[in-house]
Amino acid sequence: MEASELALFRSGIHHATETCSGEALDAALDELGWRDALVADRSTAVSVLFEALGSSVVDSSALDWLLAAALGEKDAVRTSVVLPLLRRAAPPGRVRAGRCEVHGLGTGAVARADAAVVVAEADGGPVAYTVKASSLELRQVRGLDPGLGIVEVTGDLDAAAGRPVDWEGAASIGQLAVGHELVGLARAMLELARQHALDRVQFGRPISSFQAIRHRLAESLVAVEAADGLLAAAWDDPSPVMAAMAKGMAGRSARAVARHAQQVLAGIGFTTEHPLHGYVRRTIVLDQLLGASSVLTRQLGDDVLERGALPPALPL
Amino acid sequence: MELDAFKVAVDAWLDEHEHELASDYEGGGTLDQQVAQLRKVMGMAYAAGFMRMGWPERAGGLGGSNLLRAYLGEVLTARDLVEAGFYSLPEVLAPTMIDYAPETLAAEMVPKLLSGEEIWCQGFSEPGTGSNLGSLACRATHTDAGWRINGQKVWTSLAQYAQRCVLLTRTGTLESAHRGITAMFIDMDSPGITVRPIETMHGAEEFCEVFYDDVVVPLDRVLGEVDGGWSIAMDLLPYERSTALWHRASYLHRRLEQLVSAAPAGTLDPTGVGEATQLLWAFRARSRATQRRLAAGETLGSETSIDKVLVATAEQAIFELVGEGLGPEVATGDDPVSARWRAEFLYSRAATIYGGSAEIQRNIIARRLLALGDDR
Ligand SMILES: Cc1cc2nc3c(=O)[nH]c(=O)nc-3n(C[C@H](O)[C@H](O)[C@H](O)COP(=O)(O)OP(=O)(O)OC[C@H]3O[C@@H](n4cnc5c(N)ncnc54)[C@H](O)[C@@H]3O)c2cc1C
Repeated sequence: MEASELALFRSGIHHATETCSGEALDAALDELGWRDALVADRSTAVSVLFEALGSSVVDSSALDWLLAAALGEKDAVRTSVVLPLLRRAAPPGRVRAGRCEVHGLGTGAVARADAAVVVAEADGGPVAYTVKASSLELRQVRGLDPGLGIVEVTGDLDAAAGRPVDWEGAASIGQLAVGHELVGLARAMLELARQHALDRVQFGRPISSFQAIRHRLAESLVAVEAADGLLAAAWDDPSPVMAAMAKGMAGRSARAVARHAQQVLAGIGFTTEHPLHGYVRRTIVLDQLLGASSVLTRQLGDDVLERGALPPALPL
Repeated sequence: MELDAFKVAVDAWLDEHEHELASDYEGGGTLDQQVAQLRKVMGMAYAAGFMRMGWPERAGGLGGSNLLRAYLGEVLTARDLVEAGFYSLPEVLAPTMIDYAPETLAAEMVPKLLSGEEIWCQGFSEPGTGSNLGSLACRATHTDAGWRINGQKVWTSLAQYAQRCVLLTRTGTLESAHRGITAMFIDMDSPGITVRPIETMHGAEEFCEVFYDDVVVPLDRVLGEVDGGWSIAMDLLPYERSTALWHRASYLHRRLEQLVSAAPAGTLDPTGVGEATQLLWAFRARSRATQRRLAAGETLGSETSIDKVLVATAEQAIFELVGEGLGPEVATGDDPVSARWRAEFLYSRAATIYGGSAEIQRNIIARRLLALGDDR
């Protein structure tokens, strides 16, 4: 995108995520042409929107649209995609003896969609089924972050009509998207803590003058920028290795920022009267969506040790 | 020359001269050997023209983007042909000369540095002045014969090999703090200079104490303005945290790769390896963006403190793993390769000290990037 076009796009997206959520946000994104932008300039469309989703802790169907499109679904608007259970990045279905067993998750998008894409592990590689949403069983989950509208999805489908798909490729794009959302959450938590540090006075001075506080905030900025930079580089070559690395880093960084922000905000940050808790909740859930940082990080180490070699270095 | 063409040309040249460029020792070598190897490689790369690329013509360079310098250092370190820290010293010293020395002086001197003909050092720290550079005391007095220098510097890397030094002196009163500092370009063979190497923890005499007793420096050797040395030191810091760090990442990549292939199965914690790999990649992504900003003509500033924190964190994470996976080699290995692992394992401890400590970088980030105001 051109600089002027980008600025317009960014401010439109920010306005939308700051003013609405759920179905209304989906409609606003449609009006802004987000899905056209996705075709024209995928990395910009994804990074701008998902970071904004994180900053405002709102919910939309964008992840489902993104994954549906990456899985070759033509009419991605009313189609949701069943996500893996938390911690994992493998397909949520498994084909066995002519049936496809489904056990996965959906976000608020599932309830809004008419159809759902289920990807399943099969002998010849992953296959996808596009089914009526009503053919799956949905159980609402409240859990840590009710605002995310998570549902547990189960089903038992006829496995005849599966089409081969590149689940790994789609999941990689999903990982980058969730990575940007985690960066958005982290930046917002850092800003809440920063503003509080400047405003809060103890011992006759703003707590921002205490070095222990300053260094926690500095550490948080380093963590945010490390994750953001790695995500940006991963778009050059969104290979499964790079995407998993960037998602792992984003999850670890956002968790670290959540810890620092919580400590700086202290008592007020421990209440539901302050917005921090919403960010912390979402961080902990999204860190585990499409591969938890703990799992992705260990897996990266396992792969490196097994091969006795590092992934290809980023070229200058 | 464009980066892609440069890469091809450099790679081909390195392949062609592989044997002449290689060091004649195994492992890390002695400091003398490292310095000799550095000068040889820089000399050859200079003669071939590569070492001059990315530097301005008025200082003996051949012009072109800083990316060319970044790439040359990347491949020289990736092939273990030079010690990354020493190789990158010109990245800090040459820009200072180019920006602040009288034009003829820069044109005369910078080629000597880039060609490996000379080694230069950086005399900032003093016994009483480490992080708080504004408190330095090494005195320069104006006389008709020139500036007369009296005082002491410490931890001046490679001073025992150096022909020149970029020295920070006190020209104002001590109370003038950062306003009364002047930078000068000193010949290390000037009468009155005594250099005493200091043995470091990692087993080399990498840095020295340097004593200045009535050393006379010609008036035209002032860099920038009299009493304006602070801004030179500040301008130089982002250089210290850009191209030099890109080179360092290449060295860290090589060592991490050597580690994961050399460590016996089961000695390395996969999560630790994953974390170190992520950190190194995150640093490289960040440093590459910094290189590109520099190439686009942007002025670098405090945001490079983030690069510095990341590289130091990555370096220490990687060498913590070395201590695990190659613990016995580090502790009791006496062969040259083990000795290098040991030396570098120890050297990694300094990554959060030199070039502005980890705490100073966080202070900069807090004040400049997060605008947290005063810390008192
Ligand atoms: C390998 C190596 C090579 C070097 N090469 C050179 C060289 O070539 N030329 C040169 O001039 N110098 C060189 N140095 C010196 C280096 O720049 C200093 O060591 C560094 O600036 C720190 O100063 P110091 O050691 O006196 O520590 P101090 O400044 O005394 O600091 C001690 C501790 O206190 C902390 N501290 C200090 N001030 C603050 C503060 N405001 N807030 C929070 N914490 C603080 C520091 O972070 C550190 O942990 C080198 C050092 C090393 C280790």
